[in-house]
Amino acid sequence: MVISPVHYIALPLMAAFLIPLFGKLNKDLARIIPGLVLLYLSYISVVLMNQIISSNTIIVEIIAGWRPPWGINLVFSPFTGFLASMFSMLGFVIWMYTYNFKPEVDNAQKQKFYVLFMMLITGATGIVLTGDIFNLFVFLEITAISAYSLTAFYRERDGAEAAFKYLLIGSFSSTLILLAILLLYTQVGTLNMAEIALKMPAVDPYMKGVILILFFVGFGIEAEMFPLNGWSPDVYTQAPGPIGAIFAGMVVKAGIYGLIRVVFTLFDVKEILPLLVIIGMITMAVAEVIALRQGKLKRMLAYSSIGQMGLVVVAFGIGTHESVFAAIFLMFNHAIIKGMLFLSGTYLVYNSTEKTLDDVDGIGKYLPFTSFLFALGSLAIVGMPPFAGFWSKLYLLMAAADVRLMAVIAIILVVSVIEIVYYFRVIHRIYFRERTSTIELKIPSFNAKSAMLILAIIIVAVGVYPDLISGLIERATTDLLDKQSYIQSVLSVGLK
Amino acid sequence: MNSLILLLILVFGGALLSYLLNKFLPILRDGFVVLLMLLVNYVFFTMDSATQIEFEIGGIHLQWAFSSAAFLFGIIVSILGLLSITYSTAYMQGKDRLGYFYMNFLFSIGSMLGILMSRDLISLFFFWEIMTWSSYLIVIYSGKDVDKRGLKYIVFSAIGAYSMLMAIVIIYGFTGSFLLTDIFDSIFAIKASYQLAIAILLMIGFGVKSAMMPLHVWASGAYSGSPMSFTALFSGALSKMGVFGFSLVLFNLVSNQNWLINEIIAWLAAITAVLATFYAVIQSDAKKLLAYSSIAQLGYIVIGLASGTYLGVMAGLFLAVLHAVFKGTLFMAVGAVEKQAGTTDMTKVSGLIRKMPWTFTASLISIIALAGIPPLGGFVGKWMLYEALITSDHYYLVIMVFLSSTAAFLYSYRILFGLFLGQEEPEFAHVKEAPLPMLIPMLLLSGISVLSGTFPGFILEPIQNAMVSFGFDPRLPNIEWWQLSVLFNSWGDKVVLQNVMISITAVFLIALTLITWKGYKKQRYVTTKDISSSGEIIQAEDNMTFQIDFYKPFERAIWPLLKRKIDDYYTDFGNGLEALFDLVKRIYNGNGQFYAIYVMAFLALLLIAGTKYFGF
Amino acid sequence: MNEFLTISFYGTAIVLMLIGLYAALAKKNLLKIVIGLSIIDSGLHLLFVAIGFISNGTAPIFSPEVLESAQQMVDPVPQALVLTAIVIGFATTAVALALVIRLYKHHNTAAIDEIKNLKW
Repeated sequence: MVISPVHYIALPLMAAFLIPLFGKLNKDLARIIPGLVLLYLSYISVVLMNQIISSNTIIVEIIAGWRPPWGINLVFSPFTGFLASMFSMLGFVIWMYTYNFKPEVDNAQKQKFYVLFMMLITGATGIVLTGDIFNLFVFLEITAISAYSLTAFYRERDGAEAAFKYLLIGSFSSTLILLAILLLYTQVGTLNMAEIALKMPAVDPYMKGVILILFFVGFGIEAEMFPLNGWSPDVYTQAPGPIGAIFAGMVVKAGIYGLIRVVFTLFDVKEILPLLVIIGMITMAVAEVIALRQGKLKRMLAYSSIGQMGLVVVAFGIGTHESVFAAIFLMFNHAIIKGMLFLSGTYLVYNSTEKTLDDVDGIGKYLPFTSFLFALGSLAIVGMPPFAGFWSKLYLLMAAADVRLMAVIAIILVVSVIEIVYYFRVIHRIYFRERTSTIELKIPSFNAKSAMLILAIIIVAVGVYPDLISGLIERATTDLLDKQSYIQSVLSVGLK
Repeated sequence: MNSLILLLILVFGGALLSYLLNKFLPILRDGFVVLLMLLVNYVFFTMDSATQIEFEIGGIHLQWAFSSAAFLFGIIVSILGLLSITYSTAYMQGKDRLGYFYMNFLFSIGSMLGILMSRDLISLFFFWEIMTWSSYLIVIYSGKDVDKRGLKYIVFSAIGAYSMLMAIVIIYGFTGSFLLTDIFDSIFAIKASYQLAIAILLMIGFGVKSAMMPLHVWASGAYSGSPMSFTALFSGALSKMGVFGFSLVLFNLVSNQNWLINEIIAWLAAITAVLATFYAVIQSDAKKLLAYSSIAQLGYIVIGLASGTYLGVMAGLFLAVLHAVFKGTLFMAVGAVEKQAGTTDMTKVSGLIRKMPWTFTASLISIIALAGIPPLGGFVGKWMLYEALITSDHYYLVIMVFLSSTAAFLYSYRILFGLFLGQEEPEFAHVKEAPLPMLIPMLLLSGISVLSGTFPGFILEPIQNAMVSFGFDPRLPNIEWWQLSVLFNSWGDKVVLQNVMISITAVFLIALTLITWKGYKKQRYVTTKDISSSGEIIQAEDNMTFQIDFYKPFERAIWPLLKRKIDDYYTDFGNGLEALFDLVKRIYNGNGQFYAIYVMAFLALLLIAGTKYFGF
Repeated sequence: MNEFLTISFYGTAIVLMLIGLYAALAKKNLLKIVIGLSIIDSGLHLLFVAIGFISNGTAPIFSPEVLESAQQMVDPVPQALVLTAIVIGFATTAVALALVIRLYKHHNTAAIDEIKNLKW
């Protein structure tokens, strides 16, 4: 089989539909297949990334023989490839974690879980890879619908409530994006992103503004921007633990990707960037402030996640090469660190129904490994050296200082202090309180432990030696900001 | 291998190893950490002073080398590190989570060495943060009152660290470099207002660690709450990182014309010294007392540095070294009392002099050094400080320093009396002298105290080297270190009035002999009943000492000054913020429809405002 | 006549969307909210079709008869899009209804402002 970016979408989608069939053959097979698919995707990620980095080209994959701008094409460039690889690898790690996650859940349920899981990964990866704006919308909906269902996965929780809120807001998001696509189509008459970007300068500026705002709000909902993020804390809280990690690591990242692609490539309007900065700051400040006052672990992590996304949006909004570099670094760090926090945090409150912070009191003695990783993740996410979070925050501050945004630096740092307070408060509780709750603890299975350990090792390795990843991110940054080469490489395929 | 890297690998690798050792081979742990620190000392002291290393990481140019100023502080860190870890092996006997303790202990030592060797701001900050969290993890180690004490420490550290980071990125934004050497050259080209902002932000950053008012509120809790073996290092070496940072800022990053900063810093430090001394006097817990005393002593050090004259800076640095020595000893001694007697409450413990004579000796020597009584080092340092302040016309500062060092006598006496003198309580009859690994570091350190008083030359020489790197001309006579004694030569006469010194010493010695001799002659042993007490018969357990409300009159006199603690303002501020945050929380009121309305409202707002403000 | 048709298409679409919006934002009943959401969708779909609409247009199939009147062809893309969008809207509605049933069973009410276990 020839390695091609299509596999990122075709294989998990196929796997999603085949899982129930295989489940009929052998009940373990249904659980193993997603892992195999994700492992293969991680492998091709390495191969493809190597290929485009060493040959300095972009892979444009044509689907069904329709050349761009008429057909749908997939673009595997350093930026999109970086995100797609991140999604597949993170997906694999999370699969490892889920393999033995809730043994008591019956088999049919598990199959449903993996069907939705694979759909979610298909959708998120598809958003990133596709070169067609309507196709992007379709993938967004695939992601969203599987995300709604996964949120409501547990019947005994308030999952349905969270899912309904998500669905309500999500419908608004999809309506706005669809409307924007429609208006865009009336203006430029094409759906191919490269061609849209090419024809954009001719569009009436007023129309351009309206379309951009529609996109902005639509993707802003997925990217958890204030005040569009009412759904997200509930969803993080109610979704199964590993799915929280996927939301933080993939779904939101895909939303941000959509926003960034539209702002940087399609429209290339500098005027919206200050808005990004402002909204990002507000998002961050509000979310972190609320996180400080949370009594529930997962909800705290959720608000912290929103805050971090605000930081990413700020970084993109500054708009210089350095700040975009910092933003992509932040996205990567947030994916692994928050992923690990959700994974380890889930075991800290495994059997508790309320999942309050009181449940983690003194847990360090009983779950030493999980607690240690949670503490490590906490240190990493607040940006303590020598962990990964430090570098991205530093790069962001440097980028902000370059353009003299002193107020932005000050707010980021003040918010960081708040962040430190609430994360360290949890560490206090884990290690230095007596355990009072009588809820039975769950020892993580071997797979779960190794999944968390992999993420922890990445966090420390990147923290001690950021050059491991900074080369790739540098290429991704150049790729994202170089609109011309994107247009050229996509359209030149069509002209052949 | 480059010895700088070797040093870091030794400490950080050793930290991880000690954690693993504690897990798998706990019997080897104690020996391992002591040997490791010996090795670190060996590498540190045999290091070629020109060793340096440059490399690039993540696109940032970094440079490591020991400047002579850093070397001075490095001496404190490595020696005090070795001694306090030796002390720990006995002090921490039988506690749990020792792997955690030693790992973080070594992390702090390593990060301090890292801070000192960084010649660029990024590695400085990098190691600074490692120091923060590793020391924090030890501060909360005992688990008592963690929510308040630990949180206070970490919040203030974070505020400090982040204002430092802000200064660092501002510097970078203007100069485009993180290397100290580049910055020293180009900093004065920046606009004056930004220069001032940078200096203030850095001062906040370093001021937190050196417990400057009003950023000191974390210190008493953190010092008294951590295990004493770590507090010795914490107060002795870790707080000196703040002093080290101050010296960088004051001598390299602030232009000389900007005397206002020096003045403000000196005054803040003076107020810190006075208030902290007062607080120390009214404490009844020996640990708390020493903690406040540390804050006060750091005040002197900063006054010296901020005075900016040759003698003042020398006094500051001299006191910095000395403070590490004697405060290290004192924390260790109090730790020994805590370990053997179970408490350090001075209203409970008393009369341990016969039980723990060596601990007493060590504390006595350190107290003499602390209080500034000749012939020990504290006297030399303080005299230099006075002289520097007087010659530079800072008369009011002299009054402040004099006030606080006089009051320091009160607490110095109290700690000696409270713990060691007075009536022996039956409750503490079982107490024995501390084990050797605890005694040896204490006695060694008190030896250094004695030596530094009589022959300050051996400390003054590295200090002078450090000062040369700050841009001062060397002024010490060019003689061997042992000749540079306050007692025996002309330098002593110039700095410290030799006659004064000798007469005070003589009076002291004569009085001591007389009292001892007289006391010895008149000594007789009596039973508890042999006392005229208005017909009452006194039982053995009746407390005849007056340790409760020891300084009541003094306390009453200064109380108006101390009534409203700065701490309370912070608490009120924090509570106010929390209430505000709770209000913000209500945005997410749980009703999905509201969230949808937010979305539509936001969209409408953008559509209206977008056309107007974003130029579409 | 043509213009009237076009305008009435657009007008109906927008009115539909506004009605849907009103239902989704103002009605308290979960079912009505879901209905509102699908009315918005319908309006949007109508808008899509309206954009591709050409009066007296022909199907976009190239055949010898219509080759000369290529301008009269309806734009096929919006129609393709609208089909996809309808399918997606259908799926969303299905999930939404399933959630409404779950919520009703769980809370014994279908009023959205009484389902507030998750807040702050």
